[in-house]
Amino acid sequence: MIAWLTSTDHKKIGIMYIVATSFFFGIAGILAMLIRTQLATPDMTFLGPHAFDQVFTIHGTAMIFLFVAPFGLGLANFLIPLQIGAPDMAFPRLNATALWLFIFGGLTVLSGAFASGGAASSGWTAFAPLSEIRISAGAGQDLWIVGLTMTSISSILTALNIVVTVFLLRAPGMTMWRIPIFSWEMVATSLLILMAFPPLVTVFAMLLIDRHLGGQFFDPAHGGNPVLYQHLFWFFGHPEVYVMILPYFGVVTEIVAVFSRKPVFGYVELVLSAFAIAGLSMGVWAHHMFTTGAVTNLFFSAMSFLIAIPTGVKFFNWIGTMWKGSIEFSTPMLFVIGFMLNFLIGGITGVMVASPPIDFHAEDSYFLVAHFHYVLGGGSLFAIFAALYFWFPKIFGVKLSERIGKWTFGILFAGFNLTFFPMHFMGIEGMPRRVYTYPAIEHLPLLNALATIGAGLMAVGVLLFLLDVVVSVRKREPVGDDPWGGYTLEWATSSPPPEFNFTSLPPIHSERPVFDLHHPAVAAEVTP
Amino acid sequence: MPLFDPASVQAQTLRGDWEIFFGAAVVVAIIMFALILLPLLLWRRRGDALPPQFKKNRSFAYVYILTPFALVAVLFYFTFVKERSVDALVPSPYATVDVTAFRWSWQFVYPHARIRIVGTPQQPPVLVLPLGKITQVNLTSVDVNHAFWIPYFLFKRDAIAGMTNHFDLTPTRLGTFRGLCAEYCGLDHTLMTFQVKVISDADYRRWLATAGKSTP
Ligand code: HEM
Ligand SMILES: [Cu+2]
Ligand SMILES: [Cu+2]
Repeated sequence: MIAWLTSTDHKKIGIMYIVATSFFFGIAGILAMLIRTQLATPDMTFLGPHAFDQVFTIHGTAMIFLFVAPFGLGLANFLIPLQIGAPDMAFPRLNATALWLFIFGGLTVLSGAFASGGAASSGWTAFAPLSEIRISAGAGQDLWIVGLTMTSISSILTALNIVVTVFLLRAPGMTMWRIPIFSWEMVATSLLILMAFPPLVTVFAMLLIDRHLGGQFFDPAHGGNPVLYQHLFWFFGHPEVYVMILPYFGVVTEIVAVFSRKPVFGYVELVLSAFAIAGLSMGVWAHHMFTTGAVTNLFFSAMSFLIAIPTGVKFFNWIGTMWKGSIEFSTPMLFVIGFMLNFLIGGITGVMVASPPIDFHAEDSYFLVAHFHYVLGGGSLFAIFAALYFWFPKIFGVKLSERIGKWTFGILFAGFNLTFFPMHFMGIEGMPRRVYTYPAIEHLPLLNALATIGAGLMAVGVLLFLLDVVVSVRKREPVGDDPWGGYTLEWATSSPPPEFNFTSLPPIHSERPVFDLHHPAVAAEVTP
Repeated sequence: MPLFDPASVQAQTLRGDWEIFFGAAVVVAIIMFALILLPLLLWRRRGDALPPQFKKNRSFAYVYILTPFALVAVLFYFTFVKERSVDALVPSPYATVDVTAFRWSWQFVYPHARIRIVGTPQQPPVLVLPLGKITQVNLTSVDVNHAFWIPYFLFKRDAIAGMTNHFDLTPTRLGTFRGLCAEYCGLDHTLMTFQVKVISDADYRRWLATAGKSTP
């Protein structure tokens, strides 16, 4: 126990990230079920307005700040040194600091539930003036701000660590164009964090100054400006969206290639598109502000459309990787296919809401809730499951059950689409987000009932996954070091890897050294 | 369904954008789903032989970079046209309403007729608009951010303290429509609704005359 708490080993830290973020996912998931229960029918009185506001605020906050984004950082912690053939991260102690800062920050946010007045209830965006002290007086809002400041600083430290590690600690032979795609995507993610999180910390500091030191940054009666809050928040908030997806593009790319038994198609394009997406995503923040009447809509619309191009490139590269392959429908691959189908829908509705004339109706409606859940839930969450199934044997030396895994996938995929597809129509029919009830008009009762049934199915899927973990860990069937025929260096060491990772490294002549090791004849032909 | 029967001139323009994007969305979705599912059907693993190990295809790359580029260029053109048309304000509207959002209801002021209507969460106010005439709305808030949304007009705009937003509404159908606050504003956000009553121009003039007298 003490060994874990004081460890600076990147693998232990990675595992602790995965455990901590899974815990936060559990909380956020339970809150999601409460939301869907309250909205199951138009006349529910299960949660009152005050409870409902806290529940959706903490659901969104935990999913974004405490689960999807930091899970990627945790996975990176575990994998990057292994993938680039390094003994550890560049700054192991900084790494441990960041982990504990994250955990305490997350717990600080959740502790708001015990404050008088309850947890924060101004949404995951905490727009001022709503989050100002004269309106949100409770300590819950302060704990939210302080806790998220801690997790933000933690992310900045980890991002620094990742960039330095990938640039300086690569094994001999691992040139820039041989870095595994997941590691590349994490470099792009880290650069985004380094640019986007400082403004977030700034806006939190300004909010605290307003709340407790008599500041007036966002109060127009004293020369402040509520639109300023939105600019600063979304200057962080849009890049954050990519912090929550780029790591999973990496996961998907690695898994597609291994289970198509082919090299990644368009490696260079995939790397460049990650940086194109990261770069463009710094210039689109005001597409969240089309209805404010305070920004140049057409500019931000055009910039947002452009992101569809490098994202499309990724899709074609995945398709190219599968093309004429020898595709194996293992559980990780199924989740990756689920990712592609769901994320495609989220990407398409994303281009729709990037058009202001559409956004004028869709913004802040359930259409938007559907859109971002297709990206974050159908996309990132499915990729997280893919990653767990794929790397579980490496991390713990045990494989999860393929049989239970396939059921888990099927139930989650059906449940996800049943929950969120109807939400597009709720939004179009005029249901706004963040409401605890709705009138029984048009198709709203039917659509909401479907969504709640779907959410129940998703809960079953998640429980089945937990069961799988328990059963498989109990059984402890040995699986060997490389159960999938992996490509990258993490598969060249034992499962779980020893301290300092490698006793010897295979020669590195391409972006998939372990494949080359096992197929020397093919490798000689393929690699230039 | 607001998209099937939009109820204002502006909403018809906005609906045009929805149609174009829905059309494009369906086509893109079908093509992409097919491209994703096709390899899964055709090339399942059979045996241990490795498939061909190709890594790129230069000419194919041009196709999948340039096609999306052309597509978004076209979509941007339509966005540009529709947005311009909806944002345009006429210099001398037929009617004017000053709308003020507050926690948690709305105030509608008809400045020329000296009419002031204030709602409460329990008693949502009624916004009266003349059929087929341009009403200009001047929208602001006195506290937090709100948003003024009429689903059947396919349109919303934020109400933000310290600034005023302007837009034109030209209803094309008689009747009563739902209006609501779309930007979360705290405890009774859910109840921050209003009604939009579209009446004929003659009725509207009559209403202005009588309501103007009876309201202090
Ligand atoms: C597991 C199943 C999930 C269900 C059933 C679910 C359900 C919901 C619902 C119904 C809302 C709308 C609340 C409202 O506007 O009143 C919501 C909001 C939200 N959800 Fe989820 N969700 C799930 C997973 C996720 C995931 C994986 C993420 C990933 C980041 C996420 C992020 C959010 C965010 C950011 C909000 C907005 C919160 C806010 O408005 O402040 N959710 N969720
Ligand atoms: Cu964005
Ligand atoms: Cu509101």
